[in-house]
Amino acid sequence: MAAYVIRRVIWTAPVVLLVILMTFTLMKQIEGNPFRKTERAVPAAVQANLERKFNLDKPWYVQYAQYVKGVSTGDLGPSLVLRDRTVNDIVKEQFPRSIELGVLAFGWAVLLGVPAGVLAALKPNSRFDYGSMFFSNVGFALPNFLVATLLIYFVSVKWGLLPTSGWTTWQHKILPSFTLGLVPMAYFARLVRGTMLETLQQDYVRTAKAKGLRWRRVVTVHVLRNSLIPVVTAAAPLLGYIITGSFIVENIFAVPGIGRYYVTAVSARDYSVVMGLTVLLSIIVILANLVVDILYGILDPRTREART
Amino acid sequence: MAPLLAVKDLRTHFFTRAGVVRAVDGVDLAVEKGKTLGIVGESGCGKSVTALSIMRLLPEPPARIVSGSIHFDERELTTLSQRQLEDIRGRQIAMVFQDPMTALNPTLTIGTQLVEVLQRHLGLDKGAARRRAAELLEEVGIPRARERLDDYPHRFSGGMRQRVVIAIAVACEPRLLIADEPTTALDVTVQAQVLDLLDDLQREHRMAMILITHNMGVVAESADDVAVMYAGQIVEQAPAGELFARPEHPYTEALLAALPDLDDPRARGRRLAAIPGRPPDLLDPPQACRFAARCPYAGCADSCPVEPPILRELRPGHWVRSAHPASERQPVPA
Amino acid sequence: MSATQVAGRIAGIEAGAPIRQSSLWQDAWRRYLRNRGALAAGSVFLLIVVGCVVTPIVSPHDPNRIHFTDAYQGPSWAHPFGTDQFGRDLFTRAALGGRISIGIGFGATLAILLIGVVYGAVSGFVGGKLDNALMRFLDALYGLPYLPFAILALAIVGTVTFWTMVVALSVASWFITARVVRAQIITLKENDYVRAAKAVGVRWYMILGRHLLPNTLGVLVITIFLELPGVILGEAFLSFLGLGINPPDASWGSMAQDGRDAYRAHPHIIVIPSLAIATLVLCANFIADGLRDALDPRTKET
Repeated sequence: MAAYVIRRVIWTAPVVLLVILMTFTLMKQIEGNPFRKTERAVPAAVQANLERKFNLDKPWYVQYAQYVKGVSTGDLGPSLVLRDRTVNDIVKEQFPRSIELGVLAFGWAVLLGVPAGVLAALKPNSRFDYGSMFFSNVGFALPNFLVATLLIYFVSVKWGLLPTSGWTTWQHKILPSFTLGLVPMAYFARLVRGTMLETLQQDYVRTAKAKGLRWRRVVTVHVLRNSLIPVVTAAAPLLGYIITGSFIVENIFAVPGIGRYYVTAVSARDYSVVMGLTVLLSIIVILANLVVDILYGILDPRTREART
Repeated sequence: MAPLLAVKDLRTHFFTRAGVVRAVDGVDLAVEKGKTLGIVGESGCGKSVTALSIMRLLPEPPARIVSGSIHFDERELTTLSQRQLEDIRGRQIAMVFQDPMTALNPTLTIGTQLVEVLQRHLGLDKGAARRRAAELLEEVGIPRARERLDDYPHRFSGGMRQRVVIAIAVACEPRLLIADEPTTALDVTVQAQVLDLLDDLQREHRMAMILITHNMGVVAESADDVAVMYAGQIVEQAPAGELFARPEHPYTEALLAALPDLDDPRARGRRLAAIPGRPPDLLDPPQACRFAARCPYAGCADSCPVEPPILRELRPGHWVRSAHPASERQPVPA
Repeated sequence: MSATQVAGRIAGIEAGAPIRQSSLWQDAWRRYLRNRGALAAGSVFLLIVVGCVVTPIVSPHDPNRIHFTDAYQGPSWAHPFGTDQFGRDLFTRAALGGRISIGIGFGATLAILLIGVVYGAVSGFVGGKLDNALMRFLDALYGLPYLPFAILALAIVGTVTFWTMVVALSVASWFITARVVRAQIITLKENDYVRAAKAVGVRWYMILGRHLLPNTLGVLVITIFLELPGVILGEAFLSFLGLGINPPDASWGSMAQDGRDAYRAHPHIIVIPSLAIATLVLCANFIADGLRDALDPRTKET
């Protein structure tokens, strides 16, 4: 078990470096000096100073090394546009809100999606089954900006139940997190239903029934446990969706988070921020994958020994 | 003495989109206390479905027991609710399945899987249940039982896993053990061991047993009575010795004739006798005798293609479903 | 009666008559057609695609003509989808937008397939240490959000065109396809007929080309319809954020963005392109399900 964990961790480091390299390379392709891209004209002397400060006159691999060094010490560099703030400042301020949004969205997804999937599987081909699967299909297909707009229109504007935008009181947090949680919800419902149906067919479930165990025990101990394992591994791609979706949701609901800031930074050509945020988000995803893999190893004893 | 299990005219059909599959269409069985009934037949003849029907383990859609009775120890199993059946399964009737590699839950230790059945039916507390579980493992021949309780199934070989499955089955001393092809998925050397184990356990715990197999050799060794199944019906049933010495049904004769005999000098150099043709499609089985198409004795002029033969007692204890049992055939004039 | 005659009688054929067999693909096609949901989805999908191609050609309206007097009209006979804030006919624009959205969708999906197939096939076929390394790498990259990378890629190029979108969207989304292809290749590799081919000395590229890749086709077709929704939605998201296709060209996403401000009074401007996206995505999902059932019917039995 320990060997498995160590192996996984060892593989993470080169990947993080590679992602930083990829981002860095992409950034460097933006022709010319990033400073020249900013809206405000910068006097030549100041420009030369800035270039020296940011090592832009050194060869690319030195810059890369400096940047990596910075990242490993937690320094993501300064903002190119907001001269008196660093990327870290921005992150510290905006990131917690995005995290909160993401966690709440995930909460909605688990709270509504998983039970829906379980019930649908226990009563296959019932009206509940068809109904919930229909809703989950729709949930996948509808673009979240449409859902957000419709929700705002009906819940906020027409019925005045919840505020339209912002992120201050708990009422503010319901609509955005629900909107973001819809796709994960649909995903969980489908996934759980699928894994449960599959597990219910397994021979060992038949053995459990043949032992005369109460059906409730068969479901909770034998079926659910084994069905929920794949759900854990699904968490990783969902994180990707939550990050992506947050860009839109934060935009529409005016949530002052990282997603919204990313788009602002791109439009403002603050490439330092863009790069820093990209690196940060990537590292988070990679770490999340690591955690999920380790969790999977704990939950399913077979993988520990198979994956050498 | 009334038999422990009496199955009368059992019919289990599967209602599928393609039609109704009449998997079990006329099965009569009787199992005496402490005795072993062997059920033999080719793949697809309905042996497993019969066993699962007795335990009511088939998913109710699409399967359904359309008629017949299953009488176990004075209770009628076909009318019980699932909850009532849960009390009988594992406690009065237990089952051993064919594939040991998939019969155990891979994410639970075998100790847990043993303990849960002990706690469920015998109400033992955790400690007592674990002790009893270790004893059971020893009884089925697993060394270092106490330590292995905490192992997961993937740490056991196929033969070992089957022993564990058997241990679970006999844990609560059931009156009847149904073993559905318990050795088919195992190596030949292990097969003999498992069969011996079943024999020993049966004697120890005084269980009745139903042994389902397609292997005549297994049945010859272990069974007291033998029932032969074909296309969803029982075609012959007799005590083991009697069946092998004086088979009546043409199918049974053909099965026995198909067994290679290395001792017979005349058999050397001759082809193995196979039964031509294939079993009928159970979606649309013949209305009359199901074996008629492959039977060497079925003529066009007699009742075989028209009327279904009924199961009758030819001799005391020897039942046959055929219009041309061996003892009633006219000798062919030379 | 001889044994052969009996056997023939039972099988219902004259002994010696040729047996008509259908190929795997014909079977799958027939199964697909029987699945009503998938059939409906496929038809709707086709309808939309054809509509997008044909409508701008036959439409009487100029999609780029600005005519403020006609602005914000609701659906009517003259304008089945109404008009937008510039008075442009939405039906024609939707069709044009569809051309771009669907085009980008397929383009990016094919790019994903290409990258995924190469990566997955190499990894699966070569196996061993290379496979291990490639897969570890993939595992760690798995789930990286494509949006930031897509945005970066687009920022590099400066202007956003059809092809830059295609590249941007595909570069960060090929991981699942690679995994799927690799899994399929590995399964196929273990088949005895591959071992037999190797044993007779067939060269590796022949094995890959003749035996492995054709059998992966089924999985690939399904993957197309699984990846398509993600890509289409991705393009929509980017456009909605203002980082997508430049005007006057429009995709469904950018049309939705146009309608964003006026949605309270004139919801149709945002609703229509969004519903178009949703319909296409829904159809793609159903088609993928249908294909999956058609190619591997075992999974359907409950």
